Amino acid sequence: MYALEVENLKKVYPQFTLGGISFSIGIGQIAGLIGQNGAGKSTTLKSIMRLLPCEGTVDVFGKDFSGEENAVKELIGYVGGGFRFYPNKSLSAVSEAVSRFYPHWDGEAFGRYAKEYALVLTKKVRELSEGMKIKFALALALSHGAKLLLLDEPTSGLDPLSREDFCDTLLSLKKRGVTVLFSTHITSDLMRVADRILYLSEGALLADEPLSVLLGRYRIGTFPSREEAQAAGAVGVKEVKDGFEGLTAGDGREATLDEIMIHLEWERRQA
Amino acid sequence: MPNYPYEVIFFFSGLSVFFTCMAARENGDPTFTCSLPVKKKSIPLARILVALFFQCALLLLTALCIAVKQTVFPETLLVNSAGNSANLAFCGFGGLVLGAFNLTFFPLHFRDPNKIGVPFVIAAAVQFLLIGAVIVVRHLPFYTPLCSPDPAYFGIKLAVLFLGLFLYCAMTALAALLSAKRFERADL
Repeated sequence: MYALEVENLKKVYPQFTLGGISFSIGIGQIAGLIGQNGAGKSTTLKSIMRLLPCEGTVDVFGKDFSGEENAVKELIGYVGGGFRFYPNKSLSAVSEAVSRFYPHWDGEAFGRYAKEYALVLTKKVRELSEGMKIKFALALALSHGAKLLLLDEPTSGLDPLSREDFCDTLLSLKKRGVTVLFSTHITSDLMRVADRILYLSEGALLADEPLSVLLGRYRIGTFPSREEAQAAGAVGVKEVKDGFEGLTAGDGREATLDEIMIHLEWERRQA
Repeated sequence: MPNYPYEVIFFFSGLSVFFTCMAARENGDPTFTCSLPVKKKSIPLARILVALFFQCALLLLTALCIAVKQTVFPETLLVNSAGNSANLAFCGFGGLVLGAFNLTFFPLHFRDPNKIGVPFVIAAAVQFLLIGAVIVVRHLPFYTPLCSPDPAYFGIKLAVLFLGLFLYCAMTALAALLSAKRFERADL
């Protein structure tokens, strides 16, 4: 059984199509959803939550979303780009309202998380920094016993130290058996915490594999000319100050996630 | 207040729905609620039930004021020249105006919960058309029994009350069904 199983998820807009993507995430894994702006990351997460009407099926811990919507939502903690709801309400008022919807709400746990994340419950939502909003959303999700977290760009807008804190939080959640799918274009965060990478480009899933496998597949080769790079079968050849670089399966230095993404996108554009 | 189109109070009820929906939009409520363990299609029903509660309270208060007026005031002051007189038939007409608002506003609003202004203007226009129609029709002979304080016409006024309440229930139920269907197809 998977924590999240998505089959043929398809959403059509006039100018963009999320093209029938399928993937699954094992229990307790941290998966990173990457891709450039407009690749379909938020559309994917919103479609999983059925915030957008779409085709395809979504199973969470073996439960079909369409058939058991309430039960599935009890298992999910969804954070769409920070907590931007009810800005003039205090954190305690919001948590009180949220708690009524969850039969397994654990008020003591919420108190513990609030303390752990240094949340001042008398503060209003609008008074929180972006980092604290994420922590508040996580505290809410964990207090109702969410087993799967769907986080849409949780680290964008956070300073490096807050991003480190966030990554620490994810790793501690992983130890508790919580599964996480989070979208980001800050790949350095993923290098630290992700087990699996889902790489989206223009609504298509280009890669879905363990981070180590993806990193192991590509190396960065440097070539004196474009022709030599192409003759060596390099992918996404780009000019750099010392010549030309491209992804290769042969010799070269280790490629970062950023570089893999950039060269694959470049190759796609050229094609 | 003599010779005043009392039906206007039902328009104010529409304003309260407008402000409720606007507050919900500004607080990101549709997305927030949708991320809670609540079926997406149930969200419009919840909003409509809130409106229904306040509209029923308005109708009850209206009935109470009518009862007080008919008890306290002399018969000569019970006939209103600028619309329906304050009686049971007026409450029935109120049900029609409120139901028409619900049926127009909610399905239009829940097609895209970010849009509130246009659905409200259209729904308010429908209300004012109905109110305008009754102000005109009120002066035609066939309408006289509905505005007369004569107890002989109690039966017909009661019939209009029940017809209005039935239409209110039917239109509000239809509004809930249409809103649920449209909200399920809405992008949040």
